[in-house]
Amino acid sequence: MLATETSPPAAAGRLALAQAPARNLALFAASVLALYALQPAMPIRQMDFWLPTASLALTVIVWAATSSAFATRRQPDRATLTDAAFIGGIVLGIAALRFVEPLSALITRTSPPAVLSVLAALAITALLAVAAGRIIGPRSAWTTALVIALVALLFALKYEPLTQAFAALLRVTQGQSAAQASSLDVRWLGFSYICFRLIAALRERASSRLPTVSLREFVTYAVFAPALIAGPIDRPDRFLKDLRAPFAFNWPDATEGARRIAIGAFKKFVLADWLALLALNEVNATQAQGAGWMWLLVYAYAWRIYFDFGGYTDIAIGVARIFGVRLPENFNRPYLKPNLTQFWNSWHMSLAQWFRAYYFNPLARALRTRAWATPAIIFVGQVTTMLLIGVWHGVTLNFALWGLWHGAGLFLHNRWADFAKARLTSSQERPHLQRATNAAGALLTFHFVALGWVWFALPDVALSLDVFRKLFGL
Amino acid sequence: MMDDSIAAPIAEYIAGAILKNPKRAIKPDEPLISSGLIDSFHLVDLGLFVEDKFGVRIDDSELNADTFDTLDQLVALIRSRR
Repeated sequence: MLATETSPPAAAGRLALAQAPARNLALFAASVLALYALQPAMPIRQMDFWLPTASLALTVIVWAATSSAFATRRQPDRATLTDAAFIGGIVLGIAALRFVEPLSALITRTSPPAVLSVLAALAITALLAVAAGRIIGPRSAWTTALVIALVALLFALKYEPLTQAFAALLRVTQGQSAAQASSLDVRWLGFSYICFRLIAALRERASSRLPTVSLREFVTYAVFAPALIAGPIDRPDRFLKDLRAPFAFNWPDATEGARRIAIGAFKKFVLADWLALLALNEVNATQAQGAGWMWLLVYAYAWRIYFDFGGYTDIAIGVARIFGVRLPENFNRPYLKPNLTQFWNSWHMSLAQWFRAYYFNPLARALRTRAWATPAIIFVGQVTTMLLIGVWHGVTLNFALWGLWHGAGLFLHNRWADFAKARLTSSQERPHLQRATNAAGALLTFHFVALGWVWFALPDVALSLDVFRKLFGL
Repeated sequence: MMDDSIAAPIAEYIAGAILKNPKRAIKPDEPLISSGLIDSFHLVDLGLFVEDKFGVRIDDSELNADTFDTLDQLVALIRSRR
């Protein structure tokens, strides 16, 4: 059941002249296609098809759970059916490429699976979506169950023993040897970001703040092509505002977008890739002798990770800007900030904001109303938030220690600021003193963050401790 | 337009309870969150204060510089929900 009859004539060809509806259709289709096109191949057969399909299926199910489309009517409306048919049409179209031998790996890395199994997967997704819509839709409090399921899935993908078990299970379904399973078998492109967008939508729904959103808009939000690989994690209401605003291709936005893409590409492919030759890693951490060399490796890592991630973000923001979507900024000169609190207001901002909105604020509110002492709330709130941000990168001891390093740093800075603001007179009237304090603070903050990367960059604690010993000549 | 019946108690609360400096004047257009003047913990406190004082709910996901960053913007948010 292909949905070609609903496509505006030659939408892609007239993109340059497109207004919002055609632009939105193009972004939707491009985002679904990009989900498959950007997914790398894996040692497990056909996972480069099934994992993007699973991302789509989860997105559709979460949309149904947050929508009232199934709850208020017996039949979903025409727009929903059209959008669902469009998604199914694209997925089947990609699968059907297996019959066109020279094009079988045009979108996916390897030849797609049998069309019959794809049809079965689409049917199961549709059934689960209707069930989620009927059961969870009218009871927004039940969205918590879906949030827990998503967090559990993310945890399984980030925790090596579970990922390996998951890989073994997938291998069995594909008739491959489970004994060969490795955690590296499952590289689910963009899932950390997709999952957090889905949770954001579920939480907004639970607090009745999610606007009514069509299936097409929701899929575009969750798997938005420019932000697929490395974020940023937008909020649903903000993203929808851009998608629904009038749009006409215009040169100022296109030029600004192109400028951001060029800056991003320079940061990523010139600066970051060059610094990567020098940046701290498992091999050079063992080889390097002497504190001077070690500091050089740590500094190079600090700048490499910033230019790499910041460069990706610039490219994502630039591409989206050309199409009239203003993704949130993710970095705001983080290494120039005078303290760690401001560093975390300007480093991976969309992730930090996500954790504030859906973890830290509810926790602080709950502890506040239970009359906990202020320092205790701040300690528990900041340390656990940073621990979670750490293990979001991977459930390993080193990522956890990186999180705790920053959690402890934020707590100490908070206590210092609290102590200082009650006792020290404001340096605002003395600009020279203010500038000197800020410069010293920025230098100290940068070094605290750079030393934190020693946990983040290396795979085990013993090696990190060895690097610390060399850095300080111990 | 500033509404003093809303702005004055908030400014007093920010200066006294958050910044621990009751004499500190809070300008209506002074960035409070993006500047780091109010940290994430005290932002939750400010949210609770606004809820108690004005009976207006500010959701956890709204406690950010996008929703309001200045006293003016917070007053406008409260007025729009009363």
